Amino acid sequence: MTAATDQDHEPGATEPAEGEDGVPEASGAGAEEEAAQTEEGREEDDGVWDDGLIARRMNDTAEEQQPVSAVESRASVPQTPTTLAFDGPLRSRLDALRELVGLSRTRLDSRTLAEAGRVLDEAAARRRLSGQHTVVAIAGATGSGKSQLFNALAGLTISETGVRRPTTSAPIACSWSDGAAPLIDRLGIPPRLRRRPAQHADPDGQLRGLVLVDLPDHDSAAVQHREQVDRVLALVDAVVWVVDPEKYADAVLHERYLRPMAGHAEIMFVVLNQVDRLPGEAAEQVLDDLRRLLDEDGIALGEYGEPGATVLALSALTGDGVGELRESLGQFVAERGAAARRISADVDAAGWELRPVYASSGRTGLSEAAREEFADRLADAVGATAAGEAAERAWLRNANRACGTPWLRLWRWYQDRLEPPTGRLPLRAQADEEATARQRVEQAVRTVAERACAGLPAPWAQAVREAAVRGSQGLPEALDELAARAGLPPGRPPRPGWWPAAVLVQASMTLLQVVGGLWLVAQIVGVMSPNLGVPVLLMVAGIVGGPLVEWGCRMAARGPARRYGMDAERRLREAAAGCGRARVLDPVAAELLRYREVREQYGKVMGVGA
Amino acid sequence: MVTLDVRPQLIDALSALRDRVAAARFPLPLAGAPRARANRDELLAQLDDYLVPRLKDPEAPLLAVVGGSTGAGKSTLVNSLVGRRVSEAGVLRPTTRTPVLVCHPEDHHWFSGMRVLPDLTRVWVPQQEPGDDMLLPGEDPARVLRVETTESLPRGLALLDAPDIDSLVADNRVLAAELICAADIWIMVTTAARYADAVPWHLLRTAKEYDVTLVTVLDRVPHQVVSEVSRQYGALLTKAGLGHVPRFTVPELPESAWGGGLLPATAVAPLRTWLVHQAQDSAARHQVMARTAYGVLDSLKSRMPELASAAAAQYAAATRLTAAVEAAYDSEHARVRSRLQSGAVLAGDALKRWRAFPLDCTAGELLDALSESLTTLLVCAVTAADDRVDESWRREPAAAAPTLRDRDPTAESVEHRIGLAVRRWRRELEECAEDEVRELDKGATLDPEAVAALVATALLGGRRARAAGERLAGRLGAHGALRLRDRGGRLLTEHLDRAVHAERERRLAPLDALDVHPEPQAELIAALSVLQKER
Repeated sequence: MTAATDQDHEPGATEPAEGEDGVPEASGAGAEEEAAQTEEGREEDDGVWDDGLIARRMNDTAEEQQPVSAVESRASVPQTPTTLAFDGPLRSRLDALRELVGLSRTRLDSRTLAEAGRVLDEAAARRRLSGQHTVVAIAGATGSGKSQLFNALAGLTISETGVRRPTTSAPIACSWSDGAAPLIDRLGIPPRLRRRPAQHADPDGQLRGLVLVDLPDHDSAAVQHREQVDRVLALVDAVVWVVDPEKYADAVLHERYLRPMAGHAEIMFVVLNQVDRLPGEAAEQVLDDLRRLLDEDGIALGEYGEPGATVLALSALTGDGVGELRESLGQFVAERGAAARRISADVDAAGWELRPVYASSGRTGLSEAAREEFADRLADAVGATAAGEAAERAWLRNANRACGTPWLRLWRWYQDRLEPPTGRLPLRAQADEEATARQRVEQAVRTVAERACAGLPAPWAQAVREAAVRGSQGLPEALDELAARAGLPPGRPPRPGWWPAAVLVQASMTLLQVVGGLWLVAQIVGVMSPNLGVPVLLMVAGIVGGPLVEWGCRMAARGPARRYGMDAERRLREAAAGCGRARVLDPVAAELLRYREVREQYGKVMGVGA
Repeated sequence: MVTLDVRPQLIDALSALRDRVAAARFPLPLAGAPRARANRDELLAQLDDYLVPRLKDPEAPLLAVVGGSTGAGKSTLVNSLVGRRVSEAGVLRPTTRTPVLVCHPEDHHWFSGMRVLPDLTRVWVPQQEPGDDMLLPGEDPARVLRVETTESLPRGLALLDAPDIDSLVADNRVLAAELICAADIWIMVTTAARYADAVPWHLLRTAKEYDVTLVTVLDRVPHQVVSEVSRQYGALLTKAGLGHVPRFTVPELPESAWGGGLLPATAVAPLRTWLVHQAQDSAARHQVMARTAYGVLDSLKSRMPELASAAAAQYAAATRLTAAVEAAYDSEHARVRSRLQSGAVLAGDALKRWRAFPLDCTAGELLDALSESLTTLLVCAVTAADDRVDESWRREPAAAAPTLRDRDPTAESVEHRIGLAVRRWRRELEECAEDEVRELDKGATLDPEAVAALVATALLGGRRARAAGERLAGRLGAHGALRLRDRGGRLLTEHLDRAVHAERERRLAPLDALDVHPEPQAELIAALSVLQKER
């Protein structure tokens, strides 16, 4: 049904209005005044509504009616110099919140920070005003008897009560001591609607420092009433919720007001009015049920000396329990801690609301492994491993060729002449454009950004990702350039010291073969005396020794070849890693540091980091 | 006077319309979707619980549902009308959690079956221990309807005590709305303290919108202010355009105090007389029935298009989401192709390998480097496409649907899938190269893997790998090389298209699973127009 479904949507719809309420007070006051005037005009047309809450009680209140005392005039009020002082922890939490908002401005959108900003503004505004006074609002559903309770506390009929629903249409303030004018100004209540209590109502000064505000209802069809309630509730120091046996379980009250304000339990009184309408022990039952509902709303109840909401049953009509309320209100006001507690609860609420954008899940930061992986991927992108291996093999090949037997070299040279030369020196000379694999750089940056923002709340993860992407712009080009520079030094590769000796030995082996051969030829020709043994021995030594030397050299060349290849690989790898660190890792780390800083501030706001 | 004239065609059309409404789904979390879902459920409930059974059986008893805020005294009112305690009344709120239906014993069969309110379980416990049924844990009290019979009600009239419309228990609110929708006569109860509350006025406005037979009861009025409060309330009703609605006032009496007992018969006599008259006078009865039934039928004229437009919005949103995915993947696909053409794969590792090939690098290593590079290129493209989709979906409220937002964490990674596709391509390329080499006469001397490596380089290296083409031509002959390159190129395009397509389908699968089609909109409107014609 539309009624039920609408009901579900409404809390959401009112939220934005709530957020903006705090600021425009001057304009709001004017509008209200007008509204109040028209309201009064209508009243006169309608006739008299000067009776009690429900008419059968109208006679009882008659003797209480006294002429309303003069409107509090601002000129007569000596401005109290004592402004509100916050205790250390709260001050540091507020400072941390201010810092937090400042640090986050560039990362979070203003809507997310609006509530925190409002809390800060309100805290600052409240702090400038009197700390001697406690502003308490009386809120409740239409017909619950807010105005009657207000009148009972003030001792005279200030706020009009009646059977016409809704009765009160604009907030009315009543101040028990002087100097509260700026506080009431802040609520946007015009001087016309300011009152003083009756002299006899508070003979022992129990309620000194109390500023009581009677609010319109929050649940009637008149939407502007609800707006006023929402606006004033955000500004007062404490709230007395008035419920009655008929309406104490209304969804509107619990879902729209009590549940969101559960953190403000310490500055909350919940008063079950009209208990005189309940027979016998029913009052106790209803009060228990009310306690149960409040508990389900998550409101801590101030029982057994624990801090929390005070729950009372009373009847504003008969006066039952009003004294008790007066007593606890008096005690509450005398403590003068309500304003600070309210602001503290506001900070809590704002902090909880901001939790998803600050709190991280698990450990954040860039691990050493992730950095290593990034360097590896960049090395792949410039082809460090492949370059190293190629250099190693080329060196080994050259070594083999240099130390190989000349016959083998001759044959290879012949082979090379048959095939066109490819893949070697002529191609290496040409400079490649885009020698770096773009896709590998892209992947490396993305992976490292993913690792870095694991566990971060969304806006900060986004910032880290952006930092990484910004850093990666121009990275492939830089790597191209770097790969060209950091490659192996031009010219001949270095040779180990034993190389000339090996070449010499190989040459002497060849020489032995040649000498032995020549000797034999000379014997055959007859130039020399026949002596078969020595020349054959010489030749065999040369023929066996040549490959032996070649093999030995190959074994010996392995180590230097590997060193050479590793060197080539390391140069490229280090250059690429350095480039990546400067361009990507450092900005990412800076962003992470910024987050950690903010996280610390947030911890201070929530009172854990301090 | 309106009469209820029902032809079978009308019922058929209504059943068809009911099926269409039941089939409508609003899975995407658009701004209007929760409202549309609620409207759909409400409409469906009203069709099932009220309209169809009422049109099928015009002679069934009138059902009057008593609805109102918590603590308005609904149960007390029902008890007083019946003359005995059938529904639990009390001071603790919410009191009534199980709705109670009261009827004459001979009317019992109308309500014992599933004719009306088919999704509520019936219980026939004549008298329960007080406070017992509402505290029993385990059973879902919200989906139970208690049926009571009493001789004191006339035949042809049933009363239903509904839970609170503004209950703290959300299920109760839904149930209350559903029950009120099933009524021939809506009895709205409010009190002297409540008559300006916003919630009951929502209900009254709904009643006005559907033009149902409505009665309001101003309950618990202290007798000293009866005339004043009643006048005020009357003025409010007149202002809301409900001045003609029968209005009854019930005073707050000590004996009614908070569920203690029943109100004296005189207090509720006018209401009782009115109800009995509606039930027993056939003309009045017809009028009551016809008014509510036609009111609901008329309300379809505005409610169905509302549902249809919500369905259309769903489809439009789904189309936008699909288009975003397709655009992202298409553009990335194009980018991959252009990168391939420019030889981006032959870079980094692969390029170094190619430079060293064949002297310092084997064909296998070159192929490995090339396929790894190709895999990276494709993975990058797919991830970039996913990022673009995420970004454009972030602007769409519809993309917040849980199945769209949370990807399947058990699924294998994109690297794995793309790697598989690239390996498959490499294997097929190697087979092609083998075929080509085997056909050649001097095939024995050629290494098929080297040929495959050359083809792959020529295909993936762009201009940079011109030498590879030349070398390939040198080995296979110009004709063979061309043929092999063509085949390899076709294979590459095919596998690339398939891989990107598969990734796109994967991304679209959850959206497709939501099954958002353009048909429901047209079907809803069509069903409505058929119904209009049959009236």
